[in-house]
Amino acid sequence: MAKVEMKYAEIIAPVEEAKNLFDYLQVRSVMEVKKLDEIEGLDYFETGPVVASIEKYLDTAQTALEIIDKYAPAKSGLLDSLKGLPELSESEYLKKSDEADEILGICLKICNAEKEINEDKALISRSQAAIDAVESWLKLDIPMQFKGTDTTKAIIGTLPDEYTAEKLQIALAAFLEGEDRYECEIISHAADRSCVFVLAHNEAYEKVLSALRSLEFAFPSDPTKHAPEVRYGRMRNKIAEAEAEIESDTALIKELAENREDIRFACDWFTIKRDRYTALENTSAGNSIVAFGGYIPADQCETLSKELESRFSAAVEVRDPPDEDDVPVLLRNRPFVAAVEPITEMYALPDKSDIDPNPVMSVFYYILFGLMLSDAGYGLLMAIGCGIAKFKYKVTGRLKKTVDMYFWCGLATVFWGVLFGSFFGDIIPRISAEFFDKTLVVPWAKDPGSIALWFEPVKDPMKLLCYSFLFGLIHLFFGLGCAFVKMWKQGNKSGAIFDCVPVFMLILGIVPMGAGILNVTVPAILTTIGKYLAIAGAVLVVLTAGRSSKNIVGKLGIGLYGLYNTASGWLSDILSYSRLLALGLCTGVIATVVNTLGCIPSNKIVKAIMLIAVFIFGHVVNMAINLIGTYVHTNRLQYVEFFAKFYEGGGRSFTPLKTNTKYYKVKED
Amino acid sequence: MSFGIFFAILGGVLAAAGGGAGSAIGVGRVGRAAAGVVTEDPSKFGKVLILEILPGTQGLYGFLIAFLLLTQIGVMGGSPIQLTTAQGLMYFAACLPMAICGFVSALHQANAAVAGVSIVAKRPEESGKAIIFAAMVETYAVLALLISILAMFNVTANIGA
Repeated sequence: MAKVEMKYAEIIAPVEEAKNLFDYLQVRSVMEVKKLDEIEGLDYFETGPVVASIEKYLDTAQTALEIIDKYAPAKSGLLDSLKGLPELSESEYLKKSDEADEILGICLKICNAEKEINEDKALISRSQAAIDAVESWLKLDIPMQFKGTDTTKAIIGTLPDEYTAEKLQIALAAFLEGEDRYECEIISHAADRSCVFVLAHNEAYEKVLSALRSLEFAFPSDPTKHAPEVRYGRMRNKIAEAEAEIESDTALIKELAENREDIRFACDWFTIKRDRYTALENTSAGNSIVAFGGYIPADQCETLSKELESRFSAAVEVRDPPDEDDVPVLLRNRPFVAAVEPITEMYALPDKSDIDPNPVMSVFYYILFGLMLSDAGYGLLMAIGCGIAKFKYKVTGRLKKTVDMYFWCGLATVFWGVLFGSFFGDIIPRISAEFFDKTLVVPWAKDPGSIALWFEPVKDPMKLLCYSFLFGLIHLFFGLGCAFVKMWKQGNKSGAIFDCVPVFMLILGIVPMGAGILNVTVPAILTTIGKYLAIAGAVLVVLTAGRSSKNIVGKLGIGLYGLYNTASGWLSDILSYSRLLALGLCTGVIATVVNTLGCIPSNKIVKAIMLIAVFIFGHVVNMAINLIGTYVHTNRLQYVEFFAKFYEGGGRSFTPLKTNTKYYKVKED
Repeated sequence: MSFGIFFAILGGVLAAAGGGAGSAIGVGRVGRAAAGVVTEDPSKFGKVLILEILPGTQGLYGFLIAFLLLTQIGVMGGSPIQLTTAQGLMYFAACLPMAICGFVSALHQANAAVAGVSIVAKRPEESGKAIIFAAMVETYAVLALLISILAMFNVTANIGA
């Protein structure tokens, strides 16, 4: 349990077996490969170019997969994501991997088809723009580049206003001073643009042009070589061709989408291959041998080295990792405990000197979570939801841990909800009172109208506040206990005793006095014992906290400072647990408000309809908001109050060479 | 008719308004930052959403205080109890921690959460830590909520209503 002991192994094998050896290691997934120090005569494998080309293939396969998902989306339900990955046996996997090149060919076809589609789409929009430009010129039956005849010159272009032939002639006459050796024709006109064709006598050309210019005449940017209709037809054809090509390419992609499973496999296969070649980079190779090191969980060591030596002509040497090494951390716990591992990982993995905090933390995590959410109805929903995911869909991996965590949190919430008599707020007594005009009386509850097994926090918040502090104290004492165990295990026995025991005495001694302040009746004898215990603890803290200092003044000074730190630190830590009460009240009261709002109408039928609507909406919102709040504050209590007592963190996660697949799971034969 | 009931209601209203206003500004602030991240990478929606909701709890706490108060002085049940001005002021004072701290802590929690959004943008694997930074601020809102609740309940116990 807890942190898995790591061994360090060095392996030497013939160079021709290296590939198969790494294949095997990858399927076994128990070894993290590590570079050896430089050895004379051996060079590190240079696999960079291979890795780069594999990454290119991987990229092609992934792009192809994205494309077929876009054009022919896979049919999958929401719940499919909960199901585990389909499994492939090792032999199936090797057989399929032979087809990888073929699949890559398909992927390339898909990518090319998509490229063509994109090019065609660009072509269509370009052609469409050309059509738009030429459309207003269609009535012109000569090329737009037409220059004129021997005696005339043509002016073809646009004016920024709506003109008819007469209107244009009148407008031009104002500038032309009687010159009339020209002919104009309006090809088309719209509200803000007219296309005009003007034919002027050679001698009148300059004058006519400048008159037109005064009307803000402009030559077209891209005049046609033939009559505009020719260009129009050509562009229409281009669009039709491109559309046909898009259609056939789309059909091709849809057809090739049938290979979806193969492409998924190819993605996995290239990922595996890339990881293997990346790991191979860590090996030192000579002409005939390769050598590399790595970390292996201690319990796997013997089987793995035996297997390696029997399957390959490899030599394996196992030893304890050297102290200065950056040994990776692997946690292995029962599912109940493993469920909170992601929470710890989010803070930091245990350092090599740390103990695994998860076993202690898991119990408190569930208890504190339940206390803050504290509604049996919400807890039940969580537990049922997670139970379905857990038992029916058999989720695996990291998701399984999260589902497990919420499952246990849900059960703990049910537990506290029952104690505090909260089931979707006060829905049970309220229905009894509102619809049956009866105050619900249950034998186990103290007050009529309550279903609490213990007491209702709203009725006596001080009581729950005291208990919150008590739970906090227990939590923190476990933290202190962990600090003791950690130092003891490291061989720092004096540290374990001097740093933990006096604090324990001091705090435990103060508790009866603190309880007195909160109006809890404590037997006088306990207060007296506590007083002496606290004094003894305080003296010991002053005497021991500064023991590392050399001179007597320093010892005393650091000792007093240590006392101040201990007292203020523990006070604020314990007060922090008052959030257990605050968040618990928050859930319960708002749930009650929801029920109250639903019961406003006096007509019972209207009331029932209203209550159902408000109930569903209100409780969904309340549950969602409080779930987030509870999750955050439970984490905080673990990170800030609990971990601060003993946990350092900073470990590196164990990342063995493994088949890191997304779509298939490879199983050993 | 004394001013007692007026002051009591004023306290509750301030708690709801202070917490609610702070949360509204705060959630809005984080929402803007979150929207920026989601334009770049829509898959981070879930992570930034949690950060956005964090400064929203103050509004909830304020609402809680107001509701508890209205229930305690009987306004909610339709039969308000008679309060002297002094008693009304006691309720008013009880609501102040939530009103003031709710408003201020929501704003500052929003600032921490906005910074957290940039953690999610750059290092999504560390988003848990971003949540914790923002949640640190919330402690003080929780403490204020607690004092307001305890003070209110004890006022009720003392005036024997």
